[in-house]
Amino acid sequence: MTTDARGTAALRAGIPGRLYVALALFAIVGPFLWILTASFKHPIAIYAGQFPFTPTLDNYADVLFGRRSDFAGNIANSLIVAASSTALVLVVGALAAYSLHRFRWPVWVSAGFLGWTLVFHMVPVLTLLGPWYVAFRELDLYDTRAALVVTHVTINLPMTVWLLRAFFREIPPEILEAAHVDGCGPFDAFRRIALPLALPGLIAAGILAFVFSWNEFPIALTLTSRVTATVPVAIARFAQQYEIQHAQMAAASVISTIPAVILMFLGQRFIVSGLTLGAVK
Amino acid sequence: MLLNRSFRYWSLLPALLLFAALTLYPLLNLVRMSVSTVAFANGAETWTFTPLRNFAALLEDDVVRPAVVNTLVFVGVSVAIEMFLGTALAIAVAGLSRAKRLVRTVAILPILVPPVAIGSMWKLMYNYDFGIFNQAFVALGAMPVNWLGSTSVALWSVIAVDVWHWVPFVFLILFAAVEGISPDLFEAAHVDGATRRQTLRFVVLPLLRPAIVVAFLFRAILAFKVFDEVFLLTAGGPGTSTELVNLHLYKVFFEQNRLGYGAVLSLAVIAAIVAFLLVSRRVALAVASQK
Amino acid sequence: MTANLWHVRILLAAIAFVATAPALAQQKAFADVGKQPDITVLIGSTPWYPAFEKVVGLYEQQTGNHVKLDVTPFGNILEKARNAVRTGQSPYDLMTLDTQWTIEFYEGGFVSPLADVDPAFAMPKEVFHYGDSGYWNAQKRWRTADGGKLMAYTVLGNVQLLYYRDDVLKQAGLAVPKTWSDVLASCTKLAKPPSSYGFVARGEKGNGIRYDWQSVMLAEGVQVVKDPEAGDFTVTINSPQAKKALDLYVDLLKRCGPPNYGSLGQGDVIQLLATGKAALGDVVTAAFASFEDPNKSAVVGKLQTAPLPAGAGGAHGAVIGNWNAVIPKNASDAQKKAALAFSRWFLTFGAQRAFAEAGGIPNRSDVYTSDLAKNPKYRWMPAYLETQKFARQELGYAEGAQVEQILGLRLNQALIGEMSSGKALNTAGQEIEALFKKNGRRTGVLPPLPE
Repeated sequence: MTTDARGTAALRAGIPGRLYVALALFAIVGPFLWILTASFKHPIAIYAGQFPFTPTLDNYADVLFGRRSDFAGNIANSLIVAASSTALVLVVGALAAYSLHRFRWPVWVSAGFLGWTLVFHMVPVLTLLGPWYVAFRELDLYDTRAALVVTHVTINLPMTVWLLRAFFREIPPEILEAAHVDGCGPFDAFRRIALPLALPGLIAAGILAFVFSWNEFPIALTLTSRVTATVPVAIARFAQQYEIQHAQMAAASVISTIPAVILMFLGQRFIVSGLTLGAVK
Repeated sequence: MLLNRSFRYWSLLPALLLFAALTLYPLLNLVRMSVSTVAFANGAETWTFTPLRNFAALLEDDVVRPAVVNTLVFVGVSVAIEMFLGTALAIAVAGLSRAKRLVRTVAILPILVPPVAIGSMWKLMYNYDFGIFNQAFVALGAMPVNWLGSTSVALWSVIAVDVWHWVPFVFLILFAAVEGISPDLFEAAHVDGATRRQTLRFVVLPLLRPAIVVAFLFRAILAFKVFDEVFLLTAGGPGTSTELVNLHLYKVFFEQNRLGYGAVLSLAVIAAIVAFLLVSRRVALAVASQK
Repeated sequence: MTANLWHVRILLAAIAFVATAPALAQQKAFADVGKQPDITVLIGSTPWYPAFEKVVGLYEQQTGNHVKLDVTPFGNILEKARNAVRTGQSPYDLMTLDTQWTIEFYEGGFVSPLADVDPAFAMPKEVFHYGDSGYWNAQKRWRTADGGKLMAYTVLGNVQLLYYRDDVLKQAGLAVPKTWSDVLASCTKLAKPPSSYGFVARGEKGNGIRYDWQSVMLAEGVQVVKDPEAGDFTVTINSPQAKKALDLYVDLLKRCGPPNYGSLGQGDVIQLLATGKAALGDVVTAAFASFEDPNKSAVVGKLQTAPLPAGAGGAHGAVIGNWNAVIPKNASDAQKKAALAFSRWFLTFGAQRAFAEAGGIPNRSDVYTSDLAKNPKYRWMPAYLETQKFARQELGYAEGAQVEQILGLRLNQALIGEMSSGKALNTAGQEIEALFKKNGRRTGVLPPLPE
C-alpha cells in the first residue's frame, strides 16, 4: 500500500533531497514550458528566438480547425485506442504475471514465455510492420482501431508482464497461503488479495502502457489512414519535407497532452476504486 | 467455482494466444528474410535463398562499426544516468510530506510528448543562432556551443535529450516500488535505531532491486531502439558521430529497401542487446557480491 | 447610310466576340472529364500541399467528382506507397512519389503505364520534361522518353535557385553573382558573423549535402557515373574537377556560413534566410512562398531569385527534385481511369495557373510566359524557367539510395574536416564502384586523387 506517514517519515527528504526534487522538476518542466510558449508564437518568432513576443492563437486554430485537420478526430482515436489497449493489457498482463509467479509451471513454460516476450521486445518495430500490414489487410482489419488496439497490447505486454511479476513477487507468500487455507479459491485470491497489494505496480504499468500506446507512431502510421489516424501521426505531418512547422507542432503537442493527463488522473482513481471494491475482507 | 479450478490455465492462456497469433509470423518472417534476397519484378516479390550474401554485407558495411560503438556508448551512458537520477528522484519524492501525486503527474510529462515533437523541439532549443541554450549562454557572456554540429558534442546533446525523456520512466517504476514497501519495515528499522541513511541502504535499496532490474532491462532495450529523436536532431551526423544502429537499420531497411540485409542487421541488434544484458548482469552480480 | 450601319453591326459583333473570347478560352483552358468515381490520392506533407489542396477543390467544384487526399508525413510516404502496391487492391488510385523512389516502382512493375490505362492519353507539349523522370525504358533500365513508356507525370517540379538579398548586395556595392567563384568573393565580403552570414547551403550529412553539392559539381562538369544510360557505370566522382568543386563548396560554407555548417539542413537554411541573417542562399523554389509570409519571415519582399551560378567553364548545374504522380497497377480499372481523368484535368493550363496562384509551382511553360510572370508575387518564375534549361536528374539508377548514403557521408566528412577532400572522393569512388560491381554493372573507377 502507499507508504503512510511512517514510511514518509523514515525517508523524509532533507534539504538536499528537496532541492534535488525542485531542480529535477525545473529541468523536466522547463522544456515543456518552452514548447508551451512556442505554441503561441508565430513561426518567425520561433525562428528568431524572440522573447518577449506577440502571442497568437493562430497555431491552435490551424491545428484544431484547419482545412486539412481532423485533430479532434485524431484525439478521439488516440483516446479510444490507448484506453482500450491499456485496459486490455493490464488484464491480460496481470493474469499472466500472476500465473507465472504463483503456479508452478515447468521451467520451459515460464522461462520460455518470459524469454520470448523479452526477445520480441528487442526486435526493431519496423521489421514487424510489413508482416502485420499484410496480415491485417488479409483479415480486412486495415484502417481499424481494433487492429491498433491488438497490436498495441502485443507491444506493451512484455513490459507489463515483467513489471507486474516483479510486484507480485513482493507479496509475502504467507498471505496467499493463509487465503488458500481459509478456502479462498485461486481466482479470488488473485482478485481480492494479490491485485490490491500490487496496486502501485498496476498504476505504474497502466500509466506506462497508456503512454506508450498514446505515443506509438510506426504501427499507427502503417495500419491507419485518414479516418483512424492517431495523434502522433497527425503531429508527424508537421515535420514536412523541407522544414518543420514548429509552431503548429508545438500547439498540437500541448493539446495532445491534455486528454492524456486527464485520463491518467481519472484512470488512477478508477483502478484504485475498482480494486478497493473487491478487496473488502 | 469453475473459474477457480481452472484458473491456473486460463490465466496464462490469453497472453499465450495473443502472442502466438501476433508475433510468430513476424518473427519467422524476419528469420526467413535474413537468409534471403528479396527482389521485386512484375509487381511481385521473389525470395531467393542467399544466406551468405546478407551476412557478407554486414561484414562489409563500414558504417556498422561506428554505429555499434556509438550505440553502446549511448546506451551505457544514458541508461546509467537515467537509472541513477530516476531512482534518486523516486526516493526523494517518497520522502515528501505533501504533493506527491502532483509531483508524479508533473514528473511524467516528458514521456507524454510524442517523440517526433521531442526531437523537433530540442532541435530548436539546440539551434546555434537562435536556440534558447545559446541565447542564455550569450546573455551570460559565454561562448555559444555548437550543440549539434560538432562531432565531439553531438552525441552528448543527444544523450541529454534521452535523459530528459526517460528519467520519468525510471522514476515512475521506482516510485511505485518505494510506495509498495510495507510501512512495518520502516517501523522495525526505526525501532532498531537505524538512521535515514542506514534505512536507505539496508532496507529500501535491497527491496527496490526487482524494480531496478525491470527498469534497467526495459530502459536498456528501449535505448537500443531509439530512433525519432536522433533522426530529427542530427540524422546520424555530423560525420558518423551520432550514427546509431537503429538509425542505420532504418536507412538500410526502408530507404535502400535491402530487406535481407536489414533482417540480418535486426538479428545482429538483438544479439547485441542480449550480449549487453548478460554483461550487465555479470557486472551487477560482481558488484553485489563485493558488498 | 445602310452600309455604315452594317459595318457598325459587324464591329459590334466583333467586339462582343472578343469580349466573350476570354470566357471561351477559359473553358478551353480546363478539361471536361465527365463524371468519375471517387479517387484517393497519396500525397505528402509538404509546403506546397495547401496549394494542391486548393486546386483539387477547384476540380471538385468544376466537375462534381470527389478526391480524397491522404496526407502522409513526408518521411513515411515511401513506406505507405510500398505497402499499397504489395497487397491485394491498392487503397490509393494515384500516388505521388519523390523522384528517387520512382525507379524502384518502375522496375518492380508496380505502376501502370499511362497508355495502358487510356491509349488516348497524351502529355501536353507545354509540360516540362523534368529529365524524363516519368518515362521508363525497361531494356536500358533508364528513365528516358527515347524508347521509354510514360509512367508518370510531374505534380511538382522542384529545383533550387539562388536566393539573394537585393538590398544587402546593393548596399555592399556587389552585383548578383554569376559564377560560384563570384559567390565566394561576394559572400566573404558580406559575412559578419555572428550577426550575418554571407552564404548558406546544406552541409547536413546525407541527402542534404549530396543534393546541394551536386549543383556545384554539375556546374564544374563532373558526373558521378560516366554514362549510365548506355550501361557504362564507371565511377568518375574522384576527378580533379570534382575535387575543385568540393573544395569550393567547403570553402563557401566554412568561410561564409555559420559555425554549425556541418549540420545545416534545409530547414536551417530557410530559417537563416527568413530571419535575415543570411545574404545569399541555395534553397528550393518551393520555399519562396514562406519567405513572403509575414508570419514566417522577417524579409518579406526583400529576397530575389536567380538561377544557380555557373562553374568555371560557364556551365550551370542544378538537380531536379520532382514529385511524380503514378497510378498503381493493383488499383481497379475504373479507379485508374478516374485517376487519369483527374490527371488530364490537372495538366491543363487553367489548372496549372490556379496551382501557381495558390502558391504551387506549375509544370507548364505557358504559365511562365503568361501575365503571371510579371507579377512581383511570382518573381521567382523567370529564374525557374531559365533553370529548366540545364537542370538534370541525378542518381537515376536502382542503386541510387545507396550511392546517396555513400556520397552523403563522405562529403560531410570532408566538410567537417574528418578527411581531406581527395580522400573523401577516393573513398566514395571506391565504395560506389564496389557497390556497382556487386550488382553486376559494367564499372571501374578513376585513378585515385592525391590525398
